[in-house]
Amino acid sequence: MNLPDYHFIAAPLWLVTVLHLLTLTLHFFAMNILFGGAAITLWSSARNRWGGTQAVDFSRLFPVATAATVTLGVAPLLFLQLVYPRQVYAAAIVSGWFWLFVPAAVIVAYYAFYRASFSGQRTGRVNHVMLALAAAGLIYVSLVYSSVFSMAEQPALVRSLYAKNQSGWVWNPAVGAYALRWLHMLAGAMTVGGFFVGMMGQDNPKVAATGKAAFAGGMGVAAAAGIAYLVSLMPYLEAFMRSPAITVLAAAILLSLASLQFYLRKNFWVSGLALFLSVFGMVYVRHVVRLLRLGNAFNPASWRIAPQWSPFLLFLVCFVAMLAVLAWMLWLFFRPKGEAA
Amino acid sequence: MHYPFWDQPIGYGVLMATIAVFHVFVSHFAIGGGLYLVVNEHFARRAGDAQRLEFLEKLSKFFVLATLVAGALTGVAIWFVIGLLAPAATEALIHNYVWGWAIEWTFFVVEIAAAMVYYYGWKRMTARAHLTVGWIYFVAAWLSLVIINGILTFMLTPGRWLATGDFWDGFFDPTYWPSLVLRTGVCVMLAGLYALLVASRLEPGDFKAKTVRQAAGWSLAGLAATVLSQVWYWKAIPADITAKALQVMPTPIRSIEISFWLAGAIALGMVALAAFAPRKLGTTVALAFMALGLAWFGAFEWSRESLRKPYIITGYIYGNGAEVGEAENYKRDGYLAQIPYRTGDEGADLFRHACRNCHTLEGYKALKPAFDGTDRAFIAAIVQGTQHLKGNMPPFLGTPAEAELIADHLDQRIDKRPLADIYKLDGRLLGRKVYDIRCGKCHVLGTDSDKSKSLAGQSAEDLNGLLDMAANLGEGMPAFTADAAERKALVAYLQTLGKGGRP
Repeated sequence: MNLPDYHFIAAPLWLVTVLHLLTLTLHFFAMNILFGGAAITLWSSARNRWGGTQAVDFSRLFPVATAATVTLGVAPLLFLQLVYPRQVYAAAIVSGWFWLFVPAAVIVAYYAFYRASFSGQRTGRVNHVMLALAAAGLIYVSLVYSSVFSMAEQPALVRSLYAKNQSGWVWNPAVGAYALRWLHMLAGAMTVGGFFVGMMGQDNPKVAATGKAAFAGGMGVAAAAGIAYLVSLMPYLEAFMRSPAITVLAAAILLSLASLQFYLRKNFWVSGLALFLSVFGMVYVRHVVRLLRLGNAFNPASWRIAPQWSPFLLFLVCFVAMLAVLAWMLWLFFRPKGEAA
Repeated sequence: MHYPFWDQPIGYGVLMATIAVFHVFVSHFAIGGGLYLVVNEHFARRAGDAQRLEFLEKLSKFFVLATLVAGALTGVAIWFVIGLLAPAATEALIHNYVWGWAIEWTFFVVEIAAAMVYYYGWKRMTARAHLTVGWIYFVAAWLSLVIINGILTFMLTPGRWLATGDFWDGFFDPTYWPSLVLRTGVCVMLAGLYALLVASRLEPGDFKAKTVRQAAGWSLAGLAATVLSQVWYWKAIPADITAKALQVMPTPIRSIEISFWLAGAIALGMVALAAFAPRKLGTTVALAFMALGLAWFGAFEWSRESLRKPYIITGYIYGNGAEVGEAENYKRDGYLAQIPYRTGDEGADLFRHACRNCHTLEGYKALKPAFDGTDRAFIAAIVQGTQHLKGNMPPFLGTPAEAELIADHLDQRIDKRPLADIYKLDGRLLGRKVYDIRCGKCHVLGTDSDKSKSLAGQSAEDLNGLLDMAANLGEGMPAFTADAAERKALVAYLQTLGKGGRP
């Protein structure tokens, strides 16, 4: 029967890859601010390190950061499923129950952030239980993602695990393949969270000090875990060293150091830009590592390319309009109330 | 076929429906609620009605919590679930509609951001700016429906896309416009119901009465648009689908009937509420109306999903993930050749991929009770003739040897005792059970497949002769392999049916 073939990608692969990496960077940045910011706020508030209302003020921002994280996570998930459906779905199915509980964990975290925000406004105190619950939900999500997405890079492992167990309760047993990567992500979140806390609380020396410590400390741990992870990729290391990823990685490390330098000078905008570009570089490196680990099992270049230009152009128009409307709404929100439209 | 199978003893249809119905309920209400908020804010500001503005501000808190937390995240949850339950169809949808979803994402981002700005902006923004953001929210939310509607309707009525593969042919498919009007009507109806819920918490008085009447008016207006466009929607569905549904699919038809009854109940309730008890509306009653709205939506979505049977994407991918375009390959090479994730038990692997998407062994749409008391040969024949069974099932496209493997798998798990022993039956009741198990899978009494009239005047000898040559009576008919006692009971029952009886 002559039916349309759906095994194609509706744009050049490079375009989809750029969109995937860009939106994933945005998602990571928002998620790092959320998780790192919440963890630092919880830790500081529980030890009463800041005094005043700073922690309560921070806790009011987390629902917004959650909305941003979730919203910005939809696009990279879409592009991931577009290019790697067979790898990602297979790994998700093998860990089906853990995967299914991810949205539930995010709903709990989101709700807990709102509860913490509302109770903070009402009582003037941080609701530690709710913040801890939210952080636990996010840690669960990060663990499942690390397990599943790492497994997706090893189709042979997925096949062997499925052959033994079809219950959907399978956790990636190759812990060494993702534990360091997970730690790197977590420490990265503390780095970006430290940046966020330090920037938002720059007028409060105690908060600024906490932010600085988290930023620098998180960066140190992230670097150590990241290098250890790379070393653990021994069979792929030679190919990695010969790829452009090594140059990008070096640039990303330099950018993160530059970010710290500008941060210490309280030049937050430049610091933030350098940090964002550094995360973008890391996301690219992550992409290259995925391709190397997939090896002969799957090459995205094997997709048939059949561009759908008219819907793509409509997307482009909508994307630009989205940015314009977002900027305009933020301007409306932050301008003084008395100012005429 | 290309994926592992998430093998759980739960009804996948029920799991999917639970999440999806809750999501569409909240997400439609997120659109209508946005319109309700901004329209009311507009009039309240024009009239300088501080009480109403205070009411709307409270409403927006509930609204943001419900839509951003429950609405957005259950939408994400649908992605997670469909990837587990129907990965092949999800893959097909994403490859065809990636830019549709990407466009929808841009509206989603604006919608979420606008909801936040609207909620946090009551006190800090100018009235005009706040209203503008409210309108941005509503337009973005509705545009997101405009996009998703195209993908949803594509699944039931892909139209010319099946021939052209063109994005827009599939998007603006035959049911696109009626579905868009219908869903827009639902948004307005749910906005009214949700405003009723919040109004039910107000102190009794003129303000409450006015708010309740107004909310009831919104619900009625939305309901009118919904019911009219539901008729239009039904007429827009290709005749072969609706005709098949009327012949052999009681579920969608019953769901549609229920949806009309529920719409009538909501309409009557709204009129009664607005006319007689606008001041007395309590939270329980308001919640009951919300529940009716949810039930209506559930019935409608259930009918839409059921109408698609035996497909996930009509004419393109069957409910079990088998691709229509690959049918010849399946028939030639078998299913197993297409299943890369194997467990070493071929019968189990085939059963999972051919049957388990819809059936469990002992739970939802259970197969064990459907085959208890039968035998391997009967099961194998039924497997090979699934397209003839009641409920509009997909055909079995594997090889005869693979059907035997599935039969082996099931045969090892059923109760092999005679039906008389399993169910403690004899006489005509046993005959009826034999009919249900051996004949009723296709020949449902009272439907087009009911052949009981042709049995009129047949003697026991004639009927025994028919049973002897059952396998030759028509395509998909299994041989009659039951024992003598069941044969005797069935013959007696068939004679009763031939006389017009229904014991």
